[in-house]
Amino acid sequence: MRLASGGRIDRTQPLSFRFDGKVYQGVAGDSLASALLANGVKLFGRSFKYHRPRGLLAAGVEEPNALVELRSGPRHEPNVRATVAELYDGLEANSQNRWPSLAFDVSGINDVFSPFLGAGFYYKTFMGPTRGSWHFYERIIRKAAGLGTAPALPDPDRYEKTNAHCDLLVVGAGAAGLAAALVAARAGVKVMLVEQDKDLGGALLGEKSEQLDEWVAATVGELANSPNVRLLTRATAFGYYDHNVVGLVERVADHLPQPATHQPRQRLWTVRAKQVVLTTGAHERPLLFGNNDLPGVMLAGAVRTYLNRWAVLPGRQPVVFANHDEAYLTAIDLADAGATVAAVVDPRPIANPDLVTALAQRGIEHLPGHVVVKARGGRFINAAEVAALDANGEATEPRRVIICDLLAMSGGWNPAVQLHAQSGGKPRWDQRLSTFVPGESKQAERSAEALKGRADRSSHGGVRRSVGCGGEDRRGDGRVFVKPEVSVVDFQAQGSEGRGVDPPPF
Amino acid sequence: MRLPCPWCGERDHSEFNYGGDATRRRPADDAPMEEWIDYVYFRDNPRGRHHEHWQHIQGCRAWIVIERDTLTHEVSGCWTAEDYARGFAEATDVQKGAQS
Repeated sequence: MRLASGGRIDRTQPLSFRFDGKVYQGVAGDSLASALLANGVKLFGRSFKYHRPRGLLAAGVEEPNALVELRSGPRHEPNVRATVAELYDGLEANSQNRWPSLAFDVSGINDVFSPFLGAGFYYKTFMGPTRGSWHFYERIIRKAAGLGTAPALPDPDRYEKTNAHCDLLVVGAGAAGLAAALVAARAGVKVMLVEQDKDLGGALLGEKSEQLDEWVAATVGELANSPNVRLLTRATAFGYYDHNVVGLVERVADHLPQPATHQPRQRLWTVRAKQVVLTTGAHERPLLFGNNDLPGVMLAGAVRTYLNRWAVLPGRQPVVFANHDEAYLTAIDLADAGATVAAVVDPRPIANPDLVTALAQRGIEHLPGHVVVKARGGRFINAAEVAALDANGEATEPRRVIICDLLAMSGGWNPAVQLHAQSGGKPRWDQRLSTFVPGESKQAERSAEALKGRADRSSHGGVRRSVGCGGEDRRGDGRVFVKPEVSVVDFQAQGSEGRGVDPPPF
Repeated sequence: MRLPCPWCGERDHSEFNYGGDATRRRPADDAPMEEWIDYVYFRDNPRGRHHEHWQHIQGCRAWIVIERDTLTHEVSGCWTAEDYARGFAEATDVQKGAQS
């Protein structure tokens, strides 16, 4: 449901849209996913093979479930993530891979037979009576496969290609990217800052702090007014090639019903940069437990983003299940938004005491040394089975059943090392963070500290927020080296007074 | 990939045409047939630094020799074909700036 206040949306601009034939209302600033979630939609699709019900999992590009078809006619587009599709008035979307409807899908019977449907089972099952029979079966199987339908009419839009050269390309306009671009811009470096979202700020857009918002606004303002800075939003860096050549796709008009007469639909950029800084941040990873694919199970950071960015409450009786401190902020924000958080389940024996106090102040039960063993529910979650862990880390009996309509879970963060890997760098396993972090660079490229896991989002000691930046630039070999230092401030939960962070030390 | 042309500077590889192995030496006219067969049909496939011909067709149209690591694509030298053929006498060597 939509909260009465807050969020980076404009409630004075309502937008009307259709999903599976039904008309809903959203507001300007919504993504398709946030608008549907605000309207209480729980089912977004069906799984590929077993047609299990699928709900929203994430808030951004990492969404695996909410794949929809947008538009009809020649601009029809399948497999669009609802979390990436921006809402516009008159948008038409349909769910995929279900018949006759999302709520009742005949192919859901596959789930019943799943023990017999191993991978590639059809190659060994549909044999005979003749050798040519396979081609008959294959045509039928092919119809059951795939997600979505391809458009059958010619594409009416134009697509452009262009080139760009710069001294420094910064990929990702989160805290680290903004800081890096700012320091470089002040040093007179020709900077290109690209961000795949429509707004700059990255993970900071899911925060609720006025100081952070002010810092972002001031930084973006200064960058926009710098003549040596080129800012691109809605632009995804999709490939890193030899000699610091990076490919971007800029979605010029995807967020509009159709492009303006002078506009291309999308633009391909070939950027040749002397130096590249990757500040692509991290993706949250899930936890493993039974039925963790039920609608109503969402990533904790995504739940917080829906709360703070789009003022959407994904559930009224949530349970939070996580093994790190940052997810506690989700529980706190949920409670402050009016939800009744049944419990915070944490396999660790201890957590940040300030956060635990904040939970107690809101009447949220804290269950350290416990895990969620199973999510219960048919088409959406209605309860979580929780068990205590013994000394060996095994789940014990008896299991406790906690009624819930939302399970916000998080297993930590994986740095987005894809572009680093494409550049030739080899990601290296970090045992403490349990994830791959950027390894040695093979090209003139470097990754931000957060990407390296050092702005520790899964720390045990506390939740860190980067909030300011200083920097120094030194020249060598005719190249400018820019080393922004993003200052990291420990987060202290301050109860109901709200969260304060120290002003940036410029 | 960015390739350096001694006349035009660093350019995109799409401006060039690949010309093959530059380390081949044309045998004398009366050399034995085995040498000629080697020269015409056989090539080495080195892993690592390699000298190769490129022609800057969309620029100065000069034939140049580039030293490129076939594994990492790192470009470490370029000469005009004439200088290279003369055994690097007065060769011009463009510093590669793209690789750190």
